[in-house]
Amino acid sequence: MDRTPVTILTGFLGAGKTTLLNRILTEEHGLRIAVIENEFGEVGVDHELVINADEEIFEMNNGCICCTVRGDLIRILGNLMKRREKFDQILIETTGLADPGPVVQTFFADDEMKEKLFVNAVVTLVDAKHILLHLDDSDEAREQIAFADVVLLNKCDLVATGDLDGLEKRVRQMNALAKICRTTNAGIEIGKVLDVGGFNLDHAMEVNPHFLEAGHHHHHADDVASVGIEADGDCDGKKLDEWLSRTVREQGIDIFRMKGVFAIKGGPDRIIFQGVHMIIDAANGGPWGTRPRRNTLVFIGRNLDRAALNAGFQSCLA
Amino acid sequence: MKQIAAVTADDNILGLAWCGDSLAATPSTGGILILDAAGRKGSSLDGHGAGNGESAWFDGSLATCGFDGKIRWNGRAIHAGRGIIERLKASADGKFLGAGQGKALLVFGGDGNPAQGLSGLPAPIADFAWNPADSSQVAVAGAGGARMWKFGESEPFARFDWGGASLRAEWSSCGRWLVTADQTASVHIYDFSRAYPLHIQGYETKVRAMAFSADGTRLATGGSSVITIWPCTGKNGPEGVRPVQLDGHDGEVLAAAFSPQTGRLATGDGTGMVLIFTFEGDKALRKRLRLDAGISALAWHPEKEWLAVGRKNGAVSILSLEA
Repeated sequence: MDRTPVTILTGFLGAGKTTLLNRILTEEHGLRIAVIENEFGEVGVDHELVINADEEIFEMNNGCICCTVRGDLIRILGNLMKRREKFDQILIETTGLADPGPVVQTFFADDEMKEKLFVNAVVTLVDAKHILLHLDDSDEAREQIAFADVVLLNKCDLVATGDLDGLEKRVRQMNALAKICRTTNAGIEIGKVLDVGGFNLDHAMEVNPHFLEAGHHHHHADDVASVGIEADGDCDGKKLDEWLSRTVREQGIDIFRMKGVFAIKGGPDRIIFQGVHMIIDAANGGPWGTRPRRNTLVFIGRNLDRAALNAGFQSCLA
Repeated sequence: MKQIAAVTADDNILGLAWCGDSLAATPSTGGILILDAAGRKGSSLDGHGAGNGESAWFDGSLATCGFDGKIRWNGRAIHAGRGIIERLKASADGKFLGAGQGKALLVFGGDGNPAQGLSGLPAPIADFAWNPADSSQVAVAGAGGARMWKFGESEPFARFDWGGASLRAEWSSCGRWLVTADQTASVHIYDFSRAYPLHIQGYETKVRAMAFSADGTRLATGGSSVITIWPCTGKNGPEGVRPVQLDGHDGEVLAAAFSPQTGRLATGDGTGMVLIFTFEGDKALRKRLRLDAGISALAWHPEKEWLAVGRKNGAVSILSLEA
């Protein structure tokens, strides 16, 4: 069954989320898009397919804060999925102060959501003019960048090129995998937002071939950073499973996202892996073919111990 | 079993509700149908934009709600805010109409004017249930569990807190039991006679179908292709009792309803199968009917052995089980 892509729009109040939303809803792209809005601002988006709902966060498993999901999304999307006329895309606009974790986790943790929908991308809008006022003292601002698959550095017309370069470098150090686009008035080709297609490590490497090096020398104030690991050869599947399980169990609260491709000993196919906090998910990525069997893994999170993660992964090699 | 009427709505049938011989069929989107006594399409009420919510008969007219944040009733449109409204229910005595919108329970009197409701609740309302024996009491389900409120009081008179979330709530007509279906594969049952909560786990999936018998002595739950019936009698109700399990479905049970007249149980699954169980002592006699699409809603006529069956493809049939 074809799953419907979900695009999650985050960013502080004033970053340009509503501007982007209006562009998406009014441009001629031929897509039927439903929008779920949690931001009850005075300036609403007036459109029949915009659905306004209060955020409702709850724990899937008693006491596990890493397994929080969004109940409002489960109910609304469950209802939308019953419609005869399906949507081509679902867009979720979070509040400016929202933690993207529960939104993303909803699509991994709830069976019905997982079966019918997939996360196309987390798109984070960053107000390039004002973000530095928040970045040092706002966990939410850093987490929204850390969770992103696409970061739009917006309002670029208000910032000097040199300052933009510095900001982009800092964002890159926090999130080694995201595509970073510079925009003014959230002006971006809609396909770059709606047609990301979920996690694609190959694509990430095309965008930033040195992404595994990012984060080595991160900004002194950023506790959020990326740790990239690369190793040729095969992993021992059992050891890898045990190490990943232990890692997310012990550090899941600080790991925002994990993405990777593994070569498992004896297996002809690439294993694509992704995770959010303590929830991990693996899928078959097709045969390695003539490509070198190289394991690639990226953690994006807070206070990550690069040396320990590296050592842990090395111990999984067969 | 004889089909006495069939119509088709615009979309998947979300809910069915009888008022005398009139049947309301609410689809996920599009016009809400009202069928007359002969099962003919009587009228169609406007839908609610991106999605309809629950519909309820109130003072002889059908009240509807939906994702547009509006309630329509008796020619009036109430726009309470931008937030969606998914749940709408009339109290058993017909005095009040309640609607859950975000963290507020809006309540209206028979004149359609606002009555005392609930606001500033700790979590958005996933579902609510009126106490059938006392319309000054309501149970609200959502993140954290369920809380039972008496209007006018600042704190709930009973709570049913747990770490997860409750998605649906039903209050037995005898007033003793409240059941919630949860986000996890479980139900919680609250016994008001003992102020005692029970947590029942072990279902294969979320429980999407549940129904009390009219006398409140049986609770039927889905949660797989097997129907589990909990006895709600005696001092401890379902606690420590082995439930009756009824099989025969090919897919997950998505709808269940007890006949208020005969106590028969109708259940429907995602493959289009309807089973009718007649209870005779310890035995449950089964009749089977195969329809053309997954069953999404079931409702018995309040006085006749007529069963309305709604399906995922928008079809609605009225079946007569009268001899």
